[in-house]
Amino acid sequence: MKSQLAIILSAATLLLASGCKQKSAEPPATVGEAPGSAPMGSAAPVAVPPPSAGSLSDPQIAAIVVAANQVDIDAGELALKRSKNEEVKKFAQRMITDHTAVNKSAVDLVTRLKLTPEPSEASRGLTAGGADSRATLDKLDGGAFDRAYVANEVAYHKAVIGVLVSQLIPSATNPELKTTLVSVKPAFDAHLQHAEQVQATLAGGGSGAPGAHAM
Amino acid sequence: MRIVEVALLLAASSCGTKAHHEPQTFQVEIRGMHYAPATLPVAVGDHVVWTNRDVVPHTVTADGWFDSGSLSPNQQWSYTIGQPVVFDYRCTFHPTMKAQLTPK
Repeated sequence: MKSQLAIILSAATLLLASGCKQKSAEPPATVGEAPGSAPMGSAAPVAVPPPSAGSLSDPQIAAIVVAANQVDIDAGELALKRSKNEEVKKFAQRMITDHTAVNKSAVDLVTRLKLTPEPSEASRGLTAGGADSRATLDKLDGGAFDRAYVANEVAYHKAVIGVLVSQLIPSATNPELKTTLVSVKPAFDAHLQHAEQVQATLAGGGSGAPGAHAM
Repeated sequence: MRIVEVALLLAASSCGTKAHHEPQTFQVEIRGMHYAPATLPVAVGDHVVWTNRDVVPHTVTADGWFDSGSLSPNQQWSYTIGQPVVFDYRCTFHPTMKAQLTPK
């Protein structure tokens, strides 16, 4: 029986693959791409492996949260180094800043609760998957890198939100840990929407900023 | 004569003067990647205080009018309303976060 997590991973893989596929007639991206640049590659999605049999313990949940945040911090740092696109770099910096803040909050909480994060198959799989994904991204350049990085971010955030909702929050037994998990979900949701906006921009969209007006 | 005096007094008090507005202070909480309340009616002279209750930094930015800069968790920032206009403001870090101050 496929676990819900495996379904989420499959959906993330499908989404990423369809987002990265380049048709021969498709025009090049309009942002930061020179004519004749390398064809768009595809990055492996970050693996979100199924948890061990039985529900997760609070220490295991803590380790998964820290690993999940670190994966995105590391991906953001790679993007800051490799991308030449200002919007992608701004997004990447936001991922670094926000996920670092979430990790600090998580570490402060587990320290206060005297809870030691416990590595598990899930947290190790996240870390390994993140490394694999970065290795694949590292082979790409220019617009191909940007599109693959952002597509990966969309898929990754969708997968992590799914795990948060279906596994981590329901499994948490400590009320403060549960509340913290619930409270950080909106940040992941906002990141997903931001990633999708950047993805649309790379595909040729645009945006404007609000201001003030008299009634 | 008395009626005329009273009428003149009433006319003088209402003609050319606005009702006095006592400035109020309003709180906006930044939590769950939202500003709450999302729409806040305010009058000139009122003070609005934003408090960041999220674990990530945010800004309170109305282009051309005010910008809090980066607000760390639990940090506050305030603005005194100087014009009876609609202020559309946002978080420059998180494009989904938008809200409004509207004139009363």
